[in-house]
Amino acid sequence: MAPRIQSRSVSTLLPYLTSSSTSKSSSIPSLCSSSQSSRQFSVSAAQQTKLRRQMFEWLATQGSGLKHHVPGETNYLKWADGTQNNRPFPNNPNFVSESILSEELRNEVYVRVIEKKKSPRAVSVELGIDMNRIAAVVRLVELERRQREKGKSLALPYARAVHEMVPTTPLAPAGERQTYHEPINDLPVHPATGAQIFYPVPESRSFTRVDAGRVFSGAPALEKDVSDKITHPSDLAENLIQRPGAIEWVGKGDNARQVLQPADVRIPHPQLVQLARDRAAHPEERRTVAYRHAERLERQEKAEKQRLQRSQQRRAMNEETVKPQGSRFSFRIKDAVVTKESVGKDGRAPWAPGRRYGVPTNDRKRGTVKIPTRVEI
Amino acid sequence: MRNRASNSLSKGKIRQSWSKYNLYNLQRFRSPATANRTFFQQKWTAKALSRAYHGEQVREGQWKRMFSKRIRSVVPMDTTDLAADDGSQVSAGRGSGLQKQGDKGRPSRIIPYTQMAFAPLERRLDVAIFRALFASSTRQARQFVIHGAVTVNGQKMRHPSYLLNPGDLFQVDPDRVMFATGAPKTKFERREGRQLKQKDGESEEAEGEAAEAKPKEDTEKKPEAEKEDSRDTLKALMAQAKTIMSTDKDVLPAKRKQELRGFQKAVRRVLSRSETSTVLTDNLESQFSELTLLLNAKRAEKKPQKQTKEKPGKEKSETAAVAEETEAASDKLSEAFQAAAEGEEVDASELTDEEFEVLKRALTQMRDNPIDHSKPYATPWRPRDYMSAFAFIPRYLEVNQNICAAVYLRHPVARPGSAEVPTPFGESISTPAYGWYLKRRW
Repeated sequence: MAPRIQSRSVSTLLPYLTSSSTSKSSSIPSLCSSSQSSRQFSVSAAQQTKLRRQMFEWLATQGSGLKHHVPGETNYLKWADGTQNNRPFPNNPNFVSESILSEELRNEVYVRVIEKKKSPRAVSVELGIDMNRIAAVVRLVELERRQREKGKSLALPYARAVHEMVPTTPLAPAGERQTYHEPINDLPVHPATGAQIFYPVPESRSFTRVDAGRVFSGAPALEKDVSDKITHPSDLAENLIQRPGAIEWVGKGDNARQVLQPADVRIPHPQLVQLARDRAAHPEERRTVAYRHAERLERQEKAEKQRLQRSQQRRAMNEETVKPQGSRFSFRIKDAVVTKESVGKDGRAPWAPGRRYGVPTNDRKRGTVKIPTRVEI
Repeated sequence: MRNRASNSLSKGKIRQSWSKYNLYNLQRFRSPATANRTFFQQKWTAKALSRAYHGEQVREGQWKRMFSKRIRSVVPMDTTDLAADDGSQVSAGRGSGLQKQGDKGRPSRIIPYTQMAFAPLERRLDVAIFRALFASSTRQARQFVIHGAVTVNGQKMRHPSYLLNPGDLFQVDPDRVMFATGAPKTKFERREGRQLKQKDGESEEAEGEAAEAKPKEDTEKKPEAEKEDSRDTLKALMAQAKTIMSTDKDVLPAKRKQELRGFQKAVRRVLSRSETSTVLTDNLESQFSELTLLLNAKRAEKKPQKQTKEKPGKEKSETAAVAEETEAASDKLSEAFQAAAEGEEVDASELTDEEFEVLKRALTQMRDNPIDHSKPYATPWRPRDYMSAFAFIPRYLEVNQNICAAVYLRHPVARPGSAEVPTPFGESISTPAYGWYLKRRW
């Protein structure tokens, strides 16, 4: 809601008054005084409620500092104890205004990934930025460069102002260690771990993270000779990175699920655990440790690239698209499979392909969502 | 949809908006008392309060369908901890580890799960635009989407309720963003805009006038296009600084006023000298790039000095000290400006960092924040009042402000000690509100 405009000030803006005056600000006051007499319907000045008065009082006194920002500092509401910190909501101590990437750091990410051809995984560890964010930054900087080339309008003063108001993570000067932007090894909490399970284990047996994962997913305990081979849960990581399909399954039908893997496998950077183990085991042989780490990283990236290629190939094999000349549409042709699962018991299941008499198509049905659920790039 | 979301003072509801009314409501908000109230009443109030903020533009039934009791959370893992232990230590002995009474390890912080009750709403396109600081309220963001100013992955998206998927890139028209986040025009600026429009209309009618008016505008808009006389450029700079000073006397913060004044002085000096001396041959664009290069070189040169120098400069806010400084500064500044404009080497050692900063800022502003009355916001652009109190960008978005584009990285998560969903309410409100929406209410 805009502050109430007194009728006096409105009259100066009335078109028939301003059009007669040729943009001279000096002529306005005289017009003002003449228009005052023409107020027919209101006798008293517009009322201000108590709350309104209090608000403007607060804005003029305690809230006056919030009107403009000081570059490089956050400017949030004060807490009850009179302190100002990086928590914008005085009632919510759990929400923190976290720092954003500075312009230089963003460009550095782009340079390292695109120009120096480093892998996003390696850059993520170097700069302490999440891998998803690395990918996003590269996309955004690429887009920005394209728009600059085209000469499209940019919001540069706006960008500068936002970077002044919000905490930023600066790029460390050359030769200094970069401060981490965010934790990079976040372990998502698996819903299966929400249950409290009473699981008796003999005191003599060592019960590791691998065993705990099996218990949570309801899998039988590992055979002794298998479990003896695993000296540390991170041993599994190497194998699973190469072959992610090797994860064991339990349950049948709809209830089938993969066995919950230990945290060493599920974090985004499992290679760092192995590096830390190597470092602890061989504190003297720095070079060997670094060499082994580089080798492992290479193997990991190679496996990831291969997997991506294979899945793309498979998709291309399965789905052949046909685009008739001059058509807006391209048709995806798949081999029809007529089974109970694909077309239902009587062959008329709602998910079965083809038209069925009396059944409206999905975009005409009531209650189905018509707005798109995704946008392909 | 009719907008029922007013920022009334009597109700005191908090909205997703940057209005000063909202700021005042936010400031005076206290959690409602629970004494003498039934549990149902407490939940009802909590629900009503939090729904006024979270998705008030979403119908209740729609939100109920979106609600999910499962809340995403993550735990940051330390790789050295993982490497040191295979987990058997914490389950040793009788199942709870062999720790002694004394050492408790690291203090574990609680994950504030219920603060994430409204996390599904953060996926909505209109809310995400507001969170990325592209609009001053969710209602405005919604309008931008409906009016076709927003694209998702390069395609125009007209549904504010589109649920973003991880990896989606959305982009808002930069002009709209500048309008939403910039200060509004004063009535004088509005009149100037009107007159500009009128002039444009007239010039379109009469061909002869157009020939006169258009080149003028062109030089204003993109000075790099034409080679200009040195004095013209400088005069334009001067005029701009003057107009900024005169029109926004009460609006500008003190620090910027000082800078502008210093700059004005510098320009005046150069003007008086350059009457006889050489002419600026280079265009403004190359001057600017040269200056920035120089600045960067200088930054690297004397980094340790810079920090010590800047601090006393900030503290000295007294007018006398500043006047003295600017007097001395503007002298060297004008020389440097002239040198840079002529395309010569500038003696970097003479100028302090602050002077460079002033010079750079003035040139930058001249280039990418020009006075243009045809825009719907006050020019030169400045952030609207009270914007800084609401300025934060949650981690699940990666924003590029230059092109007004952002990527929705992932769904918001809770982690020990913090929740990513921005909500003005504490757990005393979010917990009963979460309870309200559970299928089996408690």
